[in-house]
Amino acid sequence: MPPDQPATLAAWLRTRTDEQLGALLVARPDVARPAPSDVVGLATRLAVPVSVDRALDELDAATLQVLDAVLLSPTDGVPRTGLPALLPDVPTEVVDAAVGTLTTRALLWGDDDLHAPEPVRRAVRYPAGLGRRATDLRVPLPRDLPGTLADLAPDERTVLDRLAGDRPVGHLPDTTAGSLSPARRLLQAGLLARIDAVNVELPREIGLALRGDRPLGPPRLRPEPEVSERDPAIADRQAAGAALEVLSRVNDVLTALEEEPAGLLRSGGLGVRDQKRLAKELRIGEADLAFLVEVAHAAGLLDVGGAQRDEWLPTRGYDAWREQDLADRWALLAAGWLTSVRLISLVGQRDVAGKAVNVLSPDVVRQTAPTLRRSALGVLAEFPPGQGLTAPELLALLRWRTPRRADRLTPVPDLLAEAERLGVLVGGVLSSGGRGLLTGGEDDAADAMRGLLPAPVDHVLAQPDLSLIAPGPLVADLAGTLAVVADVESSGGATVYRVSDGSIRRALDAGWSAGELQDFFTRASRTPVPQALEFLIDDVARQHGRLRVGAIECYVRSDDHGLVSQVLSDRRTAGAELRRLAPGVLVSGLGADEVLTVLRTAGYAPAGESSGGAVLTRPKAPPRAAGRRPGAAAAAIAPRPLAPDDVAATVREIRAGDTALAARRTEPVRQVPGVTTASTLELLSRAVREGVPVWLGYVDAQGSGSQRIVQPVSLAGGFLQGFDEGRGESRTFAVHRITSVALADAEDAAAPS
Amino acid sequence: MSDGPLIVQSDKTLLLEVDHPSSKECRAAIAPFAELERSPEHVHTYRVTPLALWNARAAGHDAEQVVDALVRYSRYPVPHALLVDIADTMDRYGRLTLANHPVHGLTLTSTDRAVLEEVVRSKRVAPMLGARIDADSVVVHPSERGRLKQALLKIGWPAEDLAGYVDGQAHPIELDQSDWHLRDYQQQAVDGFWAGGSGVVVLPCGAGKTLVGAAAMAEAKATTLILVTNTVSGRQWKRELIARTTLTEEEIGEYSGERKEIRPVTIATYQVITTRRKGEYRHLDLFDAQDWGLIVYDEVHLLPAPIFRLTADLQSRRRLGLTATLVREDGREDDVFSLIGPKRYDAPWRDIEAQGHIAPAECVEVRVSLDDEERMTYAVAEPEERYRIAATAQSKLPVIRRVLERHPNEPSLVIGAYLDQLEELGAALDAPVIQGSTTNKERERLFQAFRTGEIRTLVVSKVANFSIDLPEAAVAVQVSGTFGSRQEEAQRLGRVLRPKADGRQAHFYTVVSRDTLDSEYAAHRQRFLAEQGYAYTIVDAADLAGPGEVNGPDWVDEPAD
Repeated sequence: MPPDQPATLAAWLRTRTDEQLGALLVARPDVARPAPSDVVGLATRLAVPVSVDRALDELDAATLQVLDAVLLSPTDGVPRTGLPALLPDVPTEVVDAAVGTLTTRALLWGDDDLHAPEPVRRAVRYPAGLGRRATDLRVPLPRDLPGTLADLAPDERTVLDRLAGDRPVGHLPDTTAGSLSPARRLLQAGLLARIDAVNVELPREIGLALRGDRPLGPPRLRPEPEVSERDPAIADRQAAGAALEVLSRVNDVLTALEEEPAGLLRSGGLGVRDQKRLAKELRIGEADLAFLVEVAHAAGLLDVGGAQRDEWLPTRGYDAWREQDLADRWALLAAGWLTSVRLISLVGQRDVAGKAVNVLSPDVVRQTAPTLRRSALGVLAEFPPGQGLTAPELLALLRWRTPRRADRLTPVPDLLAEAERLGVLVGGVLSSGGRGLLTGGEDDAADAMRGLLPAPVDHVLAQPDLSLIAPGPLVADLAGTLAVVADVESSGGATVYRVSDGSIRRALDAGWSAGELQDFFTRASRTPVPQALEFLIDDVARQHGRLRVGAIECYVRSDDHGLVSQVLSDRRTAGAELRRLAPGVLVSGLGADEVLTVLRTAGYAPAGESSGGAVLTRPKAPPRAAGRRPGAAAAAIAPRPLAPDDVAATVREIRAGDTALAARRTEPVRQVPGVTTASTLELLSRAVREGVPVWLGYVDAQGSGSQRIVQPVSLAGGFLQGFDEGRGESRTFAVHRITSVALADAEDAAAPS
Repeated sequence: MSDGPLIVQSDKTLLLEVDHPSSKECRAAIAPFAELERSPEHVHTYRVTPLALWNARAAGHDAEQVVDALVRYSRYPVPHALLVDIADTMDRYGRLTLANHPVHGLTLTSTDRAVLEEVVRSKRVAPMLGARIDADSVVVHPSERGRLKQALLKIGWPAEDLAGYVDGQAHPIELDQSDWHLRDYQQQAVDGFWAGGSGVVVLPCGAGKTLVGAAAMAEAKATTLILVTNTVSGRQWKRELIARTTLTEEEIGEYSGERKEIRPVTIATYQVITTRRKGEYRHLDLFDAQDWGLIVYDEVHLLPAPIFRLTADLQSRRRLGLTATLVREDGREDDVFSLIGPKRYDAPWRDIEAQGHIAPAECVEVRVSLDDEERMTYAVAEPEERYRIAATAQSKLPVIRRVLERHPNEPSLVIGAYLDQLEELGAALDAPVIQGSTTNKERERLFQAFRTGEIRTLVVSKVANFSIDLPEAAVAVQVSGTFGSRQEEAQRLGRVLRPKADGRQAHFYTVVSRDTLDSEYAAHRQRFLAEQGYAYTIVDAADLAGPGEVNGPDWVDEPAD
């Protein structure tokens, strides 16, 4: 290593310009908060396994392959100029771009020679899909490896070739009696290593031997997906169709819930029975209903409410939403869906216990969902309008972009299907509304959709068969009234309502008079109100209210009507608040026991009566009120993105801290127990890498301090493993208990200072 | 945004605004794949069903045309998912074909092996299939052809039937159009039927369904079996056939309880075919008695279940179903479609009325208030008695009399369901009563007298619901019915819809007891007619003015000559 080259990550970071450090903070925002005090602190943060994993997760397959090339090279430090030779099939500009990305993120460091920090080495478990070294797996390799491989049976060779592909770990098949499976024979031959009861791993050397002249596998270049094309105007119209459909359906669902709210399950969510009821009422599938309910919830139109907070009810937001024009309504739904942390596609799927997940259940919350939706749709937004990708093509591209997160891509096809239903996407192509939503948010989405959705109508067409047809989306006011006086028969672009004696009765119950109903229909209908409808209203109104129902607490009755009249006119019973309902029957709003007391005080001899008419000696015990349940928790808040000013300020702070640190740098590194600095880690990892013994100040679990010379073996997960030379045993040291550390020279090892 | 006449609903109903300038054009475009469900005054409702889509495929329309028609005429953007669904549904048709194989006979062949595998494994279908010939085809027993098609339809893989029809024994039949002409819509109905092979023609009563049958026979030029509801209507068919075709009396046989003649054209009643003796159908041989080239089912909405089963065996013969209302109270419309064939022609009643082929009708519901005694009787009656008590209330009698007085010179029918009530009405109105026990001879005599004007008013039970032809009945008064049967209502209206010689209006009255089950049932029955565009006028019995009075008819009908 030339002397002018920085020796550690921290030293290298110190040589970076402010812009480069700023770029690092932007690329790995998790290390910037709270701001590290100096470069060493920054290096420590960069070494945190979670941070490394997150940074690696964001890399595409080509970049990861370049990283693999560095990780796989036998020496630490690969000359930059030597990289293209390691990746002969990858264009140089791709390699350069990848190196740029990796060094920006400090996943590789060094200017001429590229070094991989230890945490990165650990985070990449199987570089280039190769297993660990044979020595690490404790497998003795055969002397003549190529020869052994050439002599293998074809089925054994197939197994090895598969393991030499993307993933060096395989599952052992169940033992069949008699013959051994090829994997078990390979295990016996020492070509595979057993890592636990059921899994085996292919040692790196064998993998490399099988791969021949392409040790890094085939080049992982960006796939060239087949672009789907659609006339943007047609796509927009179709998106508008989907949008209209979803709007009218969501409205139907909420209207139905307004009439009869669904109960909140104890485990959260909406019960299967309510789901079935609503689906039946709206004549849609249960899965469709689940989608609509979730979309309404995501947009804040539906939430837990009611007197006991145990019902799913439309929110106040719903009332405001209904007043908006269709484009705004749609934008709210679409934006709610895009940012929702709930993965709707999980609803209805069975969990580990075999129980289906309920609609609105808290079990489907996945914090990654909004990012996933955005990244999937974001790829499509990179295409010009009218172009897009089918789900499989998009999925292939996403897999290439974030191969380490490929397992998180499972819900993507479902998410795309949801986007299609919402009108964000049409056949893999973003609609103008969807594009607006992604690039500009809710308002842009609404603006893009505006001209495409019909203006609301303020009238219906009444027909002699007692149907009312609203030839388009209705203004909120009229829709609200119609929901009371008529039943929806079919919805979509238009709404077909049917007036029946039941619906008229409902309106009368809601306080409408026959005259008001007649007026309403005359006003609302553009066609003359059919005579049959007028008669229906009058017929039902005539019958309405002929039976009266009221609530009383108790009654007083007697066959002796004279006695009853006497009780009623008796001044002393005024406290019982009695009122005559029929000859021989008085009623009171007071409880039976109170009325009994009043009557007894007044000198009468009343007896209590059971509901069956039998004489009771005592009235029943007073009822007890039901308890309440506490409310639900508040929603999670997403992290705030880093602003450019924040980045600059953080970089400035680091620089200042670093200057201060340089002034008091000493050897060995001493520290307060429990505070691990990056320099400790740096020193330890260097010792591990170079196989140099270190001198440790250590506080054990009982709190007693000690000094030891340790031959370090590995540093992982906050623990240093090594051979304690003083005590002659291998043991594990918690890094946070190390108080001081220095590299020990060979002569120091014998006599600790 | 286009301003089309059509609105596509999520449940695949189509709303067509009738007053829109391009509604006619749109109707023509959607008719092949959507069924007319309701045709009230302003907005007609069509429904796109899988069956309708498959029929459209069978008739040579492809998904692109369907989607294009929807998109072109739709006022609002059509959801993409709905169009995809339509295309998918249509794509299911024709994966399976039924064809005659030179060696193996009738075979089911598939262009899609997965589909054939699914079908072969289906519990419903498997028993009807024979030996597997190769990966793509399987033998079908000829007698299972109908049932197989029915079963395949139910599991969603309709078969394209290319096996064709037997010609039957040829017999010369020509229409004799010397003094009349087949109307346009009748010709369209026949063409539609013939092109499709088999199927159902739906036309309102009085629109000349018999002539559609006669024209179909003239097209087939083969021996024909005609199945009718009863003997009187059978004779009616015979009269019409003799008058309108080259057939002579000797060529037409009657196969009924009274006579068992088998001739080149044989008219049989449903009743005789379904008569059982010792648990066996005695007259099934009729179907094999001749090599029939055409089977006509009159009033197919009444087709009894045993004939359904027989029809399944007759898939190689051409079948024509005729009806005014394919509303079956037993909900077996689908069986009619799959066994007789799909709907081949249908037209809104009001369209035909507008062309002058059926009489314009005024429908009036007269509300009668029961007197106190009747109300009390009604209030305390057992639930199963209530309708009868309300429908046969004495208070209706003066109202019925008043209604008939409004049209003093019109031939009138009083139609009811309860015999006691009919007898009473007959006595009170001095009119003969026709009911189930009236002999055919007596019936024909009375009908003849009614036709000539000798008798002005007839009181009829529900025997006259179907297929009696009373050309000049201009007024019908319905006093009681079979609960809420919509189909009965339509048939009864049909009694007065036959066009009148002078284009006069027909009158259809329903006398209903207010605030009882009677009015509830009436409302249910009226829905069908309201959906056909007949708006009921509701009048209080007290306001029912006589001729010349305020609110009464403007003119008094001229005496019929």
